[in-house]
Amino acid sequence: MQRVGAGIGRIHLQCHGHDTVFSELSYSYPLKLLSPRVTTPGVGVVYVLTYGGGLVGGDRVNLGVEVEEGARLVMLTQGSTKVFKSRPGQTRFARPQGITPAQGDTITSQSLDVTISPNGALFLLPDPVTCFRAARYSQKQIFRLASKSSSAVLLDWITSGRISLGEQWVFERYWSLNEVWVDGKRVARDVMLLEEEKEPLQSSLADGDPSQTDSHPRSAATPTPSTSQSPLVPKRTLAERLTPYSCYATVLIYGPLTHETIRYLSSQFEATTLFKANKRPDLIWSLTLICNGEGCILRVAAKETEQVRHWLGAALHLLEGVVGVDIFRKTFS
Amino acid sequence: MDFDETYILLLLSDSNLPTGSFVASSGLESYATHGFLSPQDQNASKDKLLLDFIRDSISAYGHSALPFVSDAYRVTTQVAGDTTHSQNDFVIRNLTALDELYDTMTLNHVARRASRSQGVALLTLFTKGFSKPREASKQSPPESTPSLEEQKHAAFTKLIEKFKTSVRREDTHGHLPVCWGVLTAALGLSLERSQFLHLFLHARGLLSAAVRMNTLGPYAAQQLLLHSIRPLVTTEASKCADLRTGLRLVEDEPDQGLDPFDEDVLDTNGPAMTWPLGEILASRHDLQHSRVFNS
Repeated sequence: MQRVGAGIGRIHLQCHGHDTVFSELSYSYPLKLLSPRVTTPGVGVVYVLTYGGGLVGGDRVNLGVEVEEGARLVMLTQGSTKVFKSRPGQTRFARPQGITPAQGDTITSQSLDVTISPNGALFLLPDPVTCFRAARYSQKQIFRLASKSSSAVLLDWITSGRISLGEQWVFERYWSLNEVWVDGKRVARDVMLLEEEKEPLQSSLADGDPSQTDSHPRSAATPTPSTSQSPLVPKRTLAERLTPYSCYATVLIYGPLTHETIRYLSSQFEATTLFKANKRPDLIWSLTLICNGEGCILRVAAKETEQVRHWLGAALHLLEGVVGVDIFRKTFS
Repeated sequence: MDFDETYILLLLSDSNLPTGSFVASSGLESYATHGFLSPQDQNASKDKLLLDFIRDSISAYGHSALPFVSDAYRVTTQVAGDTTHSQNDFVIRNLTALDELYDTMTLNHVARRASRSQGVALLTLFTKGFSKPREASKQSPPESTPSLEEQKHAAFTKLIEKFKTSVRREDTHGHLPVCWGVLTAALGLSLERSQFLHLFLHARGLLSAAVRMNTLGPYAAQQLLLHSIRPLVTTEASKCADLRTGLRLVEDEPDQGLDPFDEDVLDTNGPAMTWPLGEILASRHDLQHSRVFNS
C-alpha cells in the first residue's frame, strides 16, 4: 500500500467471480476508510469516516475510487458529516506532512472522483451533510461511467443544521457539485449552491464573497446599472427561501442495475394527482428522467431528516437485492 | 443608450411578442397548488408570499440562466467581425456546446420543456419578425454594394436560420437563455441590457401568470413591477452579470477528448441551482389535477 498525502484516500475494488477484493484501500489523516466483511456476492462496502466525526474550516478530503468490471461498491458513512464553523486563519488539526491551506481560505472541502468500469456499479449512500452556523463547505463529486452498462446511485443530502441548538439554515455557504459522465459524455451536472446573502443587500455590489471577488474581479468595463435610484432590498435569508423544510436530498440514478427502481419511481410519480391545498405538505419529491430513461434525478424535501431517510428507504427498496438486504436496511433505518 | 437600442428595447418588451411565454408560469402555478401562496400565519399575506416567490425565482433563474445568456451573446458577436461561412460553423458549434451544457444542468423536465419551446420561438421571431423584409432589400439598386450594417444583418440572419435548422433537426436543444443571447447579440443590444431585460421579462412573465391565476389584480401587478420588482431585477442582474460557463472558443475541429468548458471557471464562477424548493415544486407541475399553464 503506497503512502498518500493528508486527507487523501484511494479505493480500488476488483471482482473475481463472486469475490470482491480491495486491491487498494489507503487513506491519511483526517480521513479514515473501513471495510467490513460482507456476504453479498460481488459487493464491497466501505465506510468513509473522518476523525472526530466532522470537518473543520480548511479541512480537505480527496478520495479517488475505481470500481472494476462486475464489482459493486457501496460507500457509506457512520452518522452525518458535520461541518464546523469557519475560523479565518485557523484550522483545528495540526497538519501532517506540512500541508497547510492557503491563508484566509477556510472553505472546508471534499472531493470525490470515481471511475466505474463496464458492468461495475457504485452506490454512494452517505448520511446527510450538516453545516453548522457560519460553516463554509464545498463538495465536488465526479462520476465517470465507462459505458451504458455501468450503474450508479448517488445520494447527496443536506440538513439545516443543529436543530437542537435552534440552527435552521444558518451556515454561510454550501456548494455541491455532482457530475455524471457516461462514455466520455457529460450527461448530468447538478450544482447546488446555498448561500446566505450579505446584509444589507446592496444592489450595486457584486457577491460580497472575498474569495470570489479576488479571483473574478468585476470588469472595469462593465457598466453598473443605475442602482443609485434603487432602494436597498431587505435581506431574505436562506432559511426563508428553504422553509418549511429542513432537509433536502438529491439522488442521481443511472444504469441497468437501477432500471427496476427507475420504473418503480416513475410509476409512483405519475400516479400522483395534486389538488389545490392550503397546507404545505410535510414531504415533497420530484422525478426527472434523463438519457431517455436510462437514468433519473430524484429530489426530496421534508420537514425532518428522518422523514427523508424513511421515504428514501421505501423509494429505493428494489436496490435491496442489488446491494444486499442487510446493508440496505442498515443504511435506511 | 442610443436611440436604436431604445427602439429595440421597446420592441422586445412588447408583451404581444409571440414567444410562448404566456403559457409559462415558471413554477408559480404548482407553488400555489402546494399551498405556498396560502398564508400560514397572521404575519403573512398573499401578496407578500407572491413577492417572495418572484424574488426567489428571479434569483434562481438569474444564477442558472444568465451565464448562458452572456456566453451565447459573446459567441454570437463573433459573427459581426467575420461573415464567412466557416465562421458560422464555428459559432454554431460553440452555441451547441452551451445548449448541451444548459440541458445537462437543467435537471427538471418541466423547465427543460418550457425553455426549449420559448427558445425556438425567439429564433422564429428573428427569422420571421426581425429579419429585413424582402421588399425593403429590393429597394436599393442591385449594383450598389451593401453597407456594413446590411452585411452584418445578413450574416446574423444566416446564422440564426442555421441554428434554427439545427434545433429542428434535433442536433441541439434551442434553450431559452442561449437563444436569448443569440437574438440580443444579433439585434445589437449591449450585453448588460440583454442580461437585465432577460430577468425583467422573467419577472414580468411571473406577474402576468399571477394575474391570469387571479392571484393578483392587473393594477397591483403594475404597481409591483414598478416599485418592488425593479430593485430585485437590478440586484440579481448585477449579481449574476459576471457569471460565466468557462466556454473556450474552439476555433478548430473540436478535440474529442477535450471538454469545451474551463473547469475552474465553471466550478468557481459558473451557473448553479440555488433554490431546491422551487426546483422540486416546478418539477411537480404536471401532477396537478387541473392547470392553466404548461410549466
